[in-house]
Amino acid sequence: MAKKLPRRSVVIVGGGLCAGLVARQLTAKGIQVLVLERGGDHALGPEATLPNQRDELRWDRRQGLMQDWARETYTLRHSRADESLPIRWMEAFLPGIGVGGAASHWNGCAWRWSEYDPILRTRYESRYGKAAIPADMPLQDWGTTYGELEPYHDLFEQLFGLAGKAGNIKGTIQPGGNPFEAPRRGEYPQKPLEMSEAGIIFQQAAEGLGFKPFPQPAANSPQHYVNPDGQRLGQCQYCGHCERFVCEAHAKATPDTLLYPMLRERPGFEIRTYAHVLEVGYDRRAKRATGVRYLDLKSGEEYEQPADIVVMAAFTMSNTRLLLLGGIGEPYDPATRRGNVGKNFCYQTSSGVGVFFKNRWINPFLAAGASGTVIDEFNNDNFDHSALPFLGGASISAAVTNGRPIRTRSTPPGTPRWGTAWKKATADWYAHSFSVGAQGSCYPHRENFLDLDPDYADTYGQPLLRMTFDFRENEIRMSDWVTRKAAEICKAMSPDSMGPVAGRAGPFDTRQYQTTHVTGGTVMGAEPKSSVVSPHLQHWDAENIFVVGASVYTHNSGYNPTGPLAALALRLGDDLVRYVERPRML
Amino acid sequence: MTEQKKISPRRAFLLQAAGFAGAGSLGPLGAAAVEGAEPAPAPVPAAATPYQSLSPDEATFIEALVNVLCPADEYSPNGVDCGLAIYMDRQLAGPYGKGDGRYLRGPFRSAKPELGLQSPLTPEQLCKSGIAAANAASIRDRGRPFDQLAVAEADDFLKDAQSDRVRSDGVSLALWFNEVIYRLFVEACFADPMYGGNRNAVFWKMIGYPGLPATHALDMVRYRGKPYPGANTPKSIADFT
Repeated sequence: MAKKLPRRSVVIVGGGLCAGLVARQLTAKGIQVLVLERGGDHALGPEATLPNQRDELRWDRRQGLMQDWARETYTLRHSRADESLPIRWMEAFLPGIGVGGAASHWNGCAWRWSEYDPILRTRYESRYGKAAIPADMPLQDWGTTYGELEPYHDLFEQLFGLAGKAGNIKGTIQPGGNPFEAPRRGEYPQKPLEMSEAGIIFQQAAEGLGFKPFPQPAANSPQHYVNPDGQRLGQCQYCGHCERFVCEAHAKATPDTLLYPMLRERPGFEIRTYAHVLEVGYDRRAKRATGVRYLDLKSGEEYEQPADIVVMAAFTMSNTRLLLLGGIGEPYDPATRRGNVGKNFCYQTSSGVGVFFKNRWINPFLAAGASGTVIDEFNNDNFDHSALPFLGGASISAAVTNGRPIRTRSTPPGTPRWGTAWKKATADWYAHSFSVGAQGSCYPHRENFLDLDPDYADTYGQPLLRMTFDFRENEIRMSDWVTRKAAEICKAMSPDSMGPVAGRAGPFDTRQYQTTHVTGGTVMGAEPKSSVVSPHLQHWDAENIFVVGASVYTHNSGYNPTGPLAALALRLGDDLVRYVERPRML
Repeated sequence: MTEQKKISPRRAFLLQAAGFAGAGSLGPLGAAAVEGAEPAPAPVPAAATPYQSLSPDEATFIEALVNVLCPADEYSPNGVDCGLAIYMDRQLAGPYGKGDGRYLRGPFRSAKPELGLQSPLTPEQLCKSGIAAANAASIRDRGRPFDQLAVAEADDFLKDAQSDRVRSDGVSLALWFNEVIYRLFVEACFADPMYGGNRNAVFWKMIGYPGLPATHALDMVRYRGKPYPGANTPKSIADFT
């Protein structure tokens, strides 16, 4: 029997970015918050100190900071006709574990999405007609607008000290920035990071073709920075150990650097680490959450934690799984298209083209996680799709993030995999190559969804989450087209040689890292019949449950997903202050 | 190449230890190390470092294998002298080899390769099963165990294995080679030298990766587009401990 604990006002599941931002808003108004985090604290470990921080084998290859697949993994089938099997060791995407969550080991690419992303269905219908959106593509508007989120984008960017160049200030296009950027109230808090040699080569080629390259918005701090809360960032060392690592210089803006140390000093805030939430208690008749049941991994004791409000701020996958495990809301059924929990599961459609220059020193080890140079001409609906057989697009960039040598070694096509010729090519090209990447959108498909696996369980005996996912025709066509655009830029660089030009195609391959940007499963929307949570992220079937994270996205865009979810989390914090004062459907 | 009888350094050592030392005790896989252009600074002889996971026969196989994947040449000493066999042994003996972090609950079924390895074996068990299967296939198809193949023939054998052209019972030699052996080989070359491979940071020097401490705030501007001086003298975690 679980031991029952005293009731708390607000309990947050998961101690990552969203939880930290929600808790910041609540505790500022004197509202008590308890965060339950399944992992420990990285702050003082070898992952956060030199020299062991710089260990590619331990943190990258062996995934020392990631979800332990032995305890909990996901199962996959590429279609409903296949049998699902567990991913016994996942490479494709990497949920974090411990205080800070996946935003602890992120690269720090911190975009606002397009102004029209929250109204994407309306945008496509108004531009190309209702028939332009395929019947098997359930695009939905979010029920909120960019304008409503803009103040929270601004607050997040101040808190995280973003470095970048504005492209659109209150509707006026700014030279050097992204001309497709959603309008912002002012410049970024910090000037952009230093551009890499690869960025310079890319910039020249892109400008020569008439495009408008710009520095990627980065949460890697180019200078010492003090945020509005008085929290500090150190100076980025361009060490090339950003994504998959904890930043020992505290130069990467993360919740474990900027939020949790501050929150721990605030009265009314508590975080319990190694607290693995097993279930959100749900009173079906009252349509209310009663609290959560969790396993204290340190003592092995199970606890019942009653709560007035439960905020689900775990990783995308865990938010969906906990709703399914708790029987909260109706699971999505692709055969009948009934139910919403688990639908619109999206990934991203990434590809890249390698370029090789005998006489240019790329030095890939001189790199910050987000020091990319980007063009946005072919992203989302920034270009005319009326004559194209797909919707969506990709940001195209030269984003050298690291030169860690187990992972990052490009050789020209035709190089053997071992022997003297392999060594020669590796030695010749390591410091003289990079990849032009396309980070592509992934729009929802009726047959891409999440549910509970019937056969496989985690180490605690609970069903694993099952992905039914593959790249569908729209994404394959888009990726093929956009990758050719990337190749045109590559050709304009006049490299000595180029890698193959191939868009992303199925089957979805779990053995290859592509991106950690999985989205959907608990989508937001204005209508209960087509969404899990309201535009205020309030569960339609339980007014005291709120869900926040990329799980509420109805589609995935050609940008990193962190910016909008941070804005949504900050706004949720303010919404919860109102809800605590007077509980109701917001 | 006229020499047909090939003996790996470890086999040579074992033969010597057993009193069978003969004129041919250093076959081409070992001889290549002597002919290598740049002798590594006093490599520890492989036989002086005890193995933890590999049996003598398995070690013979792995030593021959890493010397095929990494022959001595102008870029590095042979694989054994670069520590590649020791690295693989240490990984197999450690948490990786024991399946740390791998989901190992049933039921087990075969799957498309995109779903990743589905074997109920640990990586150590899989590696060893593959060694036995590869040796059996080598004897069946080529008349000799793997470590006694000529270098070119051993190279062909591995190319066949990676492309799933070597028949074997039970263990898939393509999965064995691509998902276990080749991954370990790449790590052995490029992981921090403190793990036993990449001895003297030979592969980091080869490509020009400077290693630690990687505090490049000034270098980012100073050496943008230029050769980086520290690339010739890479530093390991061990140099800062």
